[in-house]
Amino acid sequence: MTQITKRNANKFLKNEYDELVKNHFEWNIRVLESGSKPHSIVNGKEVIMMCSNNYLNLSNHPRLIQGAIEAAKKYGAGSGSVRAIAGTLKLHMEVEKRLARFKRTESALIYQTGFAANSGLIPQLVGDGDIVISDELNHGSIIDGVRLTKADRAIFKHRDMGDLERVLKDADRKYRRILIITDGVFSMDGDIAPMDKIVKLANEFGAMTYVDDAHGEGVIGEDGRGIGSHFRIEGKIDVEMGTFSKAFGVVGGLIAGSQDLINFAYNKSRTWLLSGSHPPAVSGAQLAAIDVLETESEHVKRLWDNTKYFKNELNSLGFNTGESETPITPVIVGDSSKAKDLSNRLFDEGVFALPIVFPMVARDKARIRTMMNAGLTKNDLDFALDKFEKLGKELSII
Amino acid sequence: MSEKIGFIINPIAGMGGRVGLKGTDGVLDKALQLGAHPVACQKAEEMFREFSTLSKNHNNLLWVTCSGVMGRTVLEAAGMKNIQIVYSPSGDTTTAHDTQTACKRFLDQHLDLLVFCGGDGTARDIYTIIDKKLPLLGIPAGVKMHSGVFGINTYATAKMLLEFINKRLTIGDVEIMDLDEELYRKGEWKVRLFGVARGIIEPTYIQVGKACFESVSDEEVKDELAEHVKDELEKYKDWLFLFCSGGTIDSIAKKLHIEHTLLGIDAIYQKQLVGRDLNEEQILALLKKYPKAKILLSPIGAQGFIVGRGNLQLSPTVIKKIGIDNFIVVATPSKLIHTPLLRVDTGDKKLNRLFVKQGYFMVVIGYRLSRVVRLQTNSF
Ligand SMILES: Cc1ncc(COP(=O)(O)O)c(C=O)c1O
Repeated sequence: MTQITKRNANKFLKNEYDELVKNHFEWNIRVLESGSKPHSIVNGKEVIMMCSNNYLNLSNHPRLIQGAIEAAKKYGAGSGSVRAIAGTLKLHMEVEKRLARFKRTESALIYQTGFAANSGLIPQLVGDGDIVISDELNHGSIIDGVRLTKADRAIFKHRDMGDLERVLKDADRKYRRILIITDGVFSMDGDIAPMDKIVKLANEFGAMTYVDDAHGEGVIGEDGRGIGSHFRIEGKIDVEMGTFSKAFGVVGGLIAGSQDLINFAYNKSRTWLLSGSHPPAVSGAQLAAIDVLETESEHVKRLWDNTKYFKNELNSLGFNTGESETPITPVIVGDSSKAKDLSNRLFDEGVFALPIVFPMVARDKARIRTMMNAGLTKNDLDFALDKFEKLGKELSII
Repeated sequence: MSEKIGFIINPIAGMGGRVGLKGTDGVLDKALQLGAHPVACQKAEEMFREFSTLSKNHNNLLWVTCSGVMGRTVLEAAGMKNIQIVYSPSGDTTTAHDTQTACKRFLDQHLDLLVFCGGDGTARDIYTIIDKKLPLLGIPAGVKMHSGVFGINTYATAKMLLEFINKRLTIGDVEIMDLDEELYRKGEWKVRLFGVARGIIEPTYIQVGKACFESVSDEEVKDELAEHVKDELEKYKDWLFLFCSGGTIDSIAKKLHIEHTLLGIDAIYQKQLVGRDLNEEQILALLKKYPKAKILLSPIGAQGFIVGRGNLQLSPTVIKKIGIDNFIVVATPSKLIHTPLLRVDTGDKKLNRLFVKQGYFMVVIGYRLSRVVRLQTNSF
């Protein structure tokens, strides 16, 4: 029998990877040998960590570690099932109850990740004959969620309320349901969505509001309660979505809102229904994280003290730090290659911060994005500032 | 591998402006009498100097050009190396004929790009020969630049050239516009689409990972637009659709297997062509037969016109019959980057005010995806 090779089924894997490498688009994964710490060992080198989302350094907090250990000892390593069938532990329910209390909403629901929350819930909220209206800089997980809907999609200019109103006016005449989705804190620039105005406009037009507060929870608002608290509109945003993977220092997506929302969400989100639930250790740590936020206000305070100090010093050195209002501080350097250079040189000097380049940001707005950590000391920050000053001068940025 | 780039100047372009003439097509003698000086060479040299400063290494580029003021002089003055001459004009003053003969030579040279310096008239002369066979980039030197092939100034053009060489910009459709110069000199402003050339455009990016983007080709974007329009045709089964002129609409029509007139307005009913290259009268007659109609248009030219004085078929009467609500404006995102505003000038003040009142269009930029683009209604 002769064998006919119809096609090479796997050839594209190598071809496409090679293409990425050729264009320098591949990810070179850096390995943390130390865990995510303010001083981490990355690829064998000790660096000051300025690109983790571990804003409050809670991933290293003894109460969280203890919470994880105890839950694992008591309930085992895994949960055994998806939430809907036999994978809902009492511990999961407890986290949700405590989360709702923390967020000051009627109810809350935990997803496996923030990504699973966005991509699972958004497609259920709108369908044929509806429209989703998005800020042009929304996070990729929102974009993916939106792609899964049958609804029409419209984009408004970043944080531009005039533009949003125009879209709403147009949509008002044509659609059944209108859903406005925005990031709360935008992760590239560190600026904040004008949620108070968005909610006001939404009410005028009978639109639903959905905020992805991944970078706002644990960071802005009273004791890190997030964007609702920041604008004093708690309970007025229809869907507050977030994640335990950033300031909370663990992992896991979340939504907070009305009981109606939660009932709807867990009965309809395919990611929630069809994927295993969190292991007890995760839930134990989540519970401890909420405890810590409710009882130890010093972490959020230290994060902001550090942020203000670092931003001010960068500005007085002559760096352009953009429009940031949060612990995400971009250091805008201009050209993409300059940003990459600076990031590499910083790493060699012991500061770990990633470059953000075109097309994530405009061609002439390439930057180093620094993310503050409450665990960094003033000495650490001075060390980092020193390196920024030295390299900034060498690369003629300042 | 080094790029091979063609370069040609229309040395008399841009001369009319200084002496109060709008363009030099047909009135060159008068311009010279009035004491006009060549500005095209100066603009071109400026562009190449900016390019030199921006690009650290351009010695591996090969320049294919014409002798004297039609190319070589400027390239040398700006310090370019590796110059190859493929055409020499015979007389002292150069004409459109020289431009076109040179372009025929360029076609045999396997160029990566043809850079030219001139105005809309020069762009038309070149496009007539080159068509879509070579991508074009225009250094603006003429009096009026409505065509999409031009950079907005010499610096922007230098940057586009560099980014093209660095493969950060790609090739896509751009419009060549035609302004009636005879009328323009009399103070009347009438511009229309002349053709669709290949030019340098900003690629469209979609996010495929957290910090990972993929550029999508203009073709793929137009596939999405076509898919969107197909849905509309199916949704509004008993409506007449007027497909207006331009490269974007033309691509959409082709993808839907509908015959289409690139430079004119066609009528489509239930996916069949029911009227080709229509004038106002014919459109009005069709609107009697099909009272429910939608109009599909795309901004054309560098100024983002969707309805302008040039589109005489889309008269105020036609627009009022169809209604602004039934405009479907489509555009590729790469085009919108350079067209932050849409422009409308119907020639009817009252109707213009209706557009002003609306203030914007929701422009379709992908499959069931739209964004707000503001409207400017004055002429300029
Ligand atoms: C704005 C935003 N939304 C959602 C996510 C996804 O969250 P998670 O890590 O929990 O999947 C992220 C994190 O990458 C984010 O930055």
